[in-house]
Amino acid sequence: MVRFKNRYVLCEVVSEDPRCRQCIEDRAVGLAVRDAVGRVHGDYGLACCSISFTVKYLNAYTGTVLLRCRKDSYRLLCSALPFVRQLESRNQRYPCSLNTLHVGGTIRTCQKFLIQYNRRQLLMLLQNCTNEEERRCIQKSLLSCSLTEEHSQSGDEEDDDGPE
Amino acid sequence: MSGAREKKRAKKMRNQPASVTLPAEPGPFPGGGSRACPPSGDVRSEQQYQQQKFSNQSSGPSYRKDQYFPKGQNRGERGRGRGGWQGGRVSEEMPKYITVSTFAQARAAEINAMLKAVAQKSSNSLVFQTLPRHMRRRAMSHNIKRLPRRLQEIARKEAEKAVHQKKEQSKTKCRKARRRHINLVAEFNRRQRKNIWLETHIWHAKRFHMVKKWGYCLGDSPTEKSYRACYRAMTKHCLLQDLSYYCCLELTGKENELLKQLARICSIDTGLTFEEACCLSGRFEGSLNLYRADRYPEDMLGPITFIWKPRDGSENRQLWIWMHPALKQDMLRELKAVFQCSEPEEIYIPEPITTTIQEEKQVDVVLSLGKKRKKEDKEGEKAVPVKKIIGDGTRDPFQSYSWISQTTGIVISDRTMEILRYRLIGPLSHSVLTETLKAASLQTEVADSETELNNWWVENCKDSEKVSLHQRQSAIFELLEGMSSPSEMPPGTILGLTVGDPRVNLPKKKTKAMPDFEKYQDNDKVRQLYLEGVPVDCAHSFIWDQDICKNVTENKISEQDLNHMRAQLLVPGSHLDLGPCESKIPILLVQQPGKMAGEDRPGWGSGWDIYLPKGWGMAFWIPFIYRGVRVGGLQEALKHSEYQRTPHAPNDFPDCQAGMQFAKELETSLLEKFKRRPPAKRANYVKLGTLSPFVCPWGQLTKNWEGRMKASGEFVHPSSPHPELCATEGHSFCDSKAEVVKEASPETGEVEETMEIISSEGVLKTEDVIGAQEFGERDETMTTSDFIVLRSEKLLMQLSAWCYPTAGKDRRLRLISRLGQKEMTEDVFLPILMSYPRALVWVNLSLLRKGNPELHAMICIPAEDDLVHLSKDKLFCGPQEPKHRDIFKHKVQKLKEEKKKKKKDNTKALESDPPSVPDKKTTEEHEDLILGLWSDALPDITSHCSRTLLGYVTRGDFSLAAGCGEALGFVSLTGLLYMLYNQPADKKGLVLLRTPASLQYRFARLNIEV
Repeated sequence: MVRFKNRYVLCEVVSEDPRCRQCIEDRAVGLAVRDAVGRVHGDYGLACCSISFTVKYLNAYTGTVLLRCRKDSYRLLCSALPFVRQLESRNQRYPCSLNTLHVGGTIRTCQKFLIQYNRRQLLMLLQNCTNEEERRCIQKSLLSCSLTEEHSQSGDEEDDDGPE
Repeated sequence: MSGAREKKRAKKMRNQPASVTLPAEPGPFPGGGSRACPPSGDVRSEQQYQQQKFSNQSSGPSYRKDQYFPKGQNRGERGRGRGGWQGGRVSEEMPKYITVSTFAQARAAEINAMLKAVAQKSSNSLVFQTLPRHMRRRAMSHNIKRLPRRLQEIARKEAEKAVHQKKEQSKTKCRKARRRHINLVAEFNRRQRKNIWLETHIWHAKRFHMVKKWGYCLGDSPTEKSYRACYRAMTKHCLLQDLSYYCCLELTGKENELLKQLARICSIDTGLTFEEACCLSGRFEGSLNLYRADRYPEDMLGPITFIWKPRDGSENRQLWIWMHPALKQDMLRELKAVFQCSEPEEIYIPEPITTTIQEEKQVDVVLSLGKKRKKEDKEGEKAVPVKKIIGDGTRDPFQSYSWISQTTGIVISDRTMEILRYRLIGPLSHSVLTETLKAASLQTEVADSETELNNWWVENCKDSEKVSLHQRQSAIFELLEGMSSPSEMPPGTILGLTVGDPRVNLPKKKTKAMPDFEKYQDNDKVRQLYLEGVPVDCAHSFIWDQDICKNVTENKISEQDLNHMRAQLLVPGSHLDLGPCESKIPILLVQQPGKMAGEDRPGWGSGWDIYLPKGWGMAFWIPFIYRGVRVGGLQEALKHSEYQRTPHAPNDFPDCQAGMQFAKELETSLLEKFKRRPPAKRANYVKLGTLSPFVCPWGQLTKNWEGRMKASGEFVHPSSPHPELCATEGHSFCDSKAEVVKEASPETGEVEETMEIISSEGVLKTEDVIGAQEFGERDETMTTSDFIVLRSEKLLMQLSAWCYPTAGKDRRLRLISRLGQKEMTEDVFLPILMSYPRALVWVNLSLLRKGNPELHAMICIPAEDDLVHLSKDKLFCGPQEPKHRDIFKHKVQKLKEEKKKKKKDNTKALESDPPSVPDKKTTEEHEDLILGLWSDALPDITSHCSRTLLGYVTRGDFSLAAGCGEALGFVSLTGLLYMLYNQPADKKGLVLLRTPASLQYRFARLNIEV
């Protein structure tokens, strides 16, 4: 099939300040990245990256951000990402940095990677936990995520059967 | 459209995770660590919950919340989570460390969302379509086991869905069973229950585009390329048409009783009446226009043709009235009213046989259909063969189709589909006829005493007088071959005949029938036929006798038997001689005169109509085809009448009910077609100055012209110079015109008064009518149209002479004197205007130079400059209409914007509250304004453009016969007279034509052919 090929960049917002989460929004992230690209690559780079550039997904609680840009210019984008230094929204500014996790050709691969990555994180957390309560807590959430999968599936099927 | 797209998109995106941000509450919650940790369950559920909590149930993204809390377990968790969260709320201080549990929970929630997005297929494609190519296998789509095992479950669910379920197998099994003769006939019978099929339906259906019209299935035009070939066949050889769908009403009764009542529904003014001597004798066929009783010239019913049965001694006469099916209901109603035939009496019907036959057949069919199953189950039960429906399959067997008058004993019976009618058009049509048909041989003994095959003929052959008549008829029929064209016969000649089975002498190969003139070169008999025509007694035919027709229909040898006999011939392919078993079929041949009016191409399109008893359709059709005729459909019939320049029913009768109905249907279909185009590609008719591109507003046209004349007072001023003269002239001109005028003629003042009354009434009426048209409905009270079509022969002759182009004055005078007409002066045409204030005239136009007129093209009066320019510059094609301003554009745009806004609101609502959207979106507001169409009530249509509008074209095309663009249409009588009066003598009859989608005017010559 003939289509425009994109690259999806999965990053993580790393910040010292927990309040930074507030700033994790579509607009704020997009502006910050754009700003960084403009600073690093100039107008040309900004224009290249702006073609079909969007924030496809973000999660303020985990700090995950999924960006999209054209395949031709993803190198420009990736090289500019380390230069994002702060996020600004509602007149509040918090220093942070972006950590690129994965670059994929489809959203789906990024999602798959994210699952894998989060699982790994949880497992790591489980290994490193210090007290019993924490261990229990993590185990529960680990179980919940695998359990809910089945649940959600069954629920979905009900949902599917409903309207049709 | 966009609604559907959005829905589709929503469906696609339902499994995709939405972005999760912190709630927009800056103040009291600076995003503490406890807040940042969503409780277990879904992140979005948490968020939604928060939103509900904090923004006072403002429209939060309640994105299928039930989906996220499918189980009570989750809900419990959520509850607990809320508790924890509330606890977190208490701690105002931002913690300096990360809580492990919240961290883990956030991750877990995200994993969940992602898993869902990844695991669930989101597209509309089927499961096997999502597989990579190298894993696809043949027959995967219907064999689930071909799929990888992990997908089998999903695929099974998918296959169970109703959408993908295959259509239920029809009860009739295989094709072989369906094509079995008995089942096929049953199926055909079922299918012709709704729309009547002609006997040649199957033949046509294989070769024609079929349309359902007027309750029939008719061939519209051939599927092959044949536009020009059909024209050639019409001019050089022979074109065949099945006109069996024309309706026949039979009137039986005493001659004077019939004539007395029939005189009320037609007028001597328009030409023939039923009383015409040569038609009354049964020698010629006549055609005329019917009006509602005593209402001439208003309330037109439609054109008909009629045939009287020749006198045969008894005092009851039979009369066939043939009409178009669209006109039938009105005419039947009117005839019933005129003859006071109200009760459908079955007892008195002289021909109850036909109905009973049908009854039997219908019952037969019903029974057999009902018992089909049973029959198949029980082989032993005697299978009743399903009979083919012959005639009208839609008739209700329990309803009578004859009506009798108690007082006069006149019977009206509907003989639609009882008599077949084929039309052969073209100069060689009679050689086709003579080659196909052979006069029946005499027969003195019955072939088989058991059947009643031919017993009527044997009976007949015993009478020497009838035998001699038959011989004379067949002699004349054979002489026909010596004629070079059917137009050489007197118009409407009728020849009755009894012929043998035409299937017997079917040629082995399709050949072209050509006449052999040398045989008849010096034949006095042919010359005599030219001069005298067919004698009266030869018009007699047994087709008038219904018993004989029934006998002939029932005793037809089936095609199968005939082929069987052919197979048993000693010498294969030799002539099959059936001997006494050969059927004898009574037929009627009627000559069609072709083009009679006008000066060019006299006799063009002449031919023969052949009337057959029903059931014999295909038996005659195939032999005709084998003689090399070409077959035409409705379109070809339309072209035929166009080249003949005759009005075609019901298209060109705007003053009768069927014509109005037709115009309405045409308008809706054209409007639909217009709307189907993308808006940017549509013609903007407002800018082009075309007020009504899809319909001709005749009422408004005549009304406007009347108003114009009144306003200008140019030649309808009240102080007429010679009131007396005017009145008397009026009297002499319109002998039996509208009675109002007649009564008022002694005093001119009275005339004016009545005229005014009429006109004021008319104005009101017109307004009503226009209003009604706006809403696309016309109720019963509006049936009396506010205009009439001028059909008085005398007046048309006069007009025709007036608009004749003349080079010099004397030629014109000569012409006028030849036609016995008067010079165009005020005295002459004023009374015409008086008596017909709102009349239309049927005109034909031929373009002088370039141009191809189209449907609903406008006929306009040329300005003086145009004529001057034309006389100076021979290559001048015509003036241009200046572009108009689209006064509706801003309105349309405003409407569009409003709509867009509404849509935006809708989409907003969609984002905020998706579950409630589907029912919201279904309400689609109706759009009244369409860009490019005049949406208000029409203004004065005559003066809307730079040239004054005179009338409209109802049919126009490049004429293959004339070699230039030709158009037929109606113009306002008032306007025409106004134009002719003001035009210079050598430019009379010059008009401008403009097609609706163009600004270019073209010169055309206007003619009235009588």
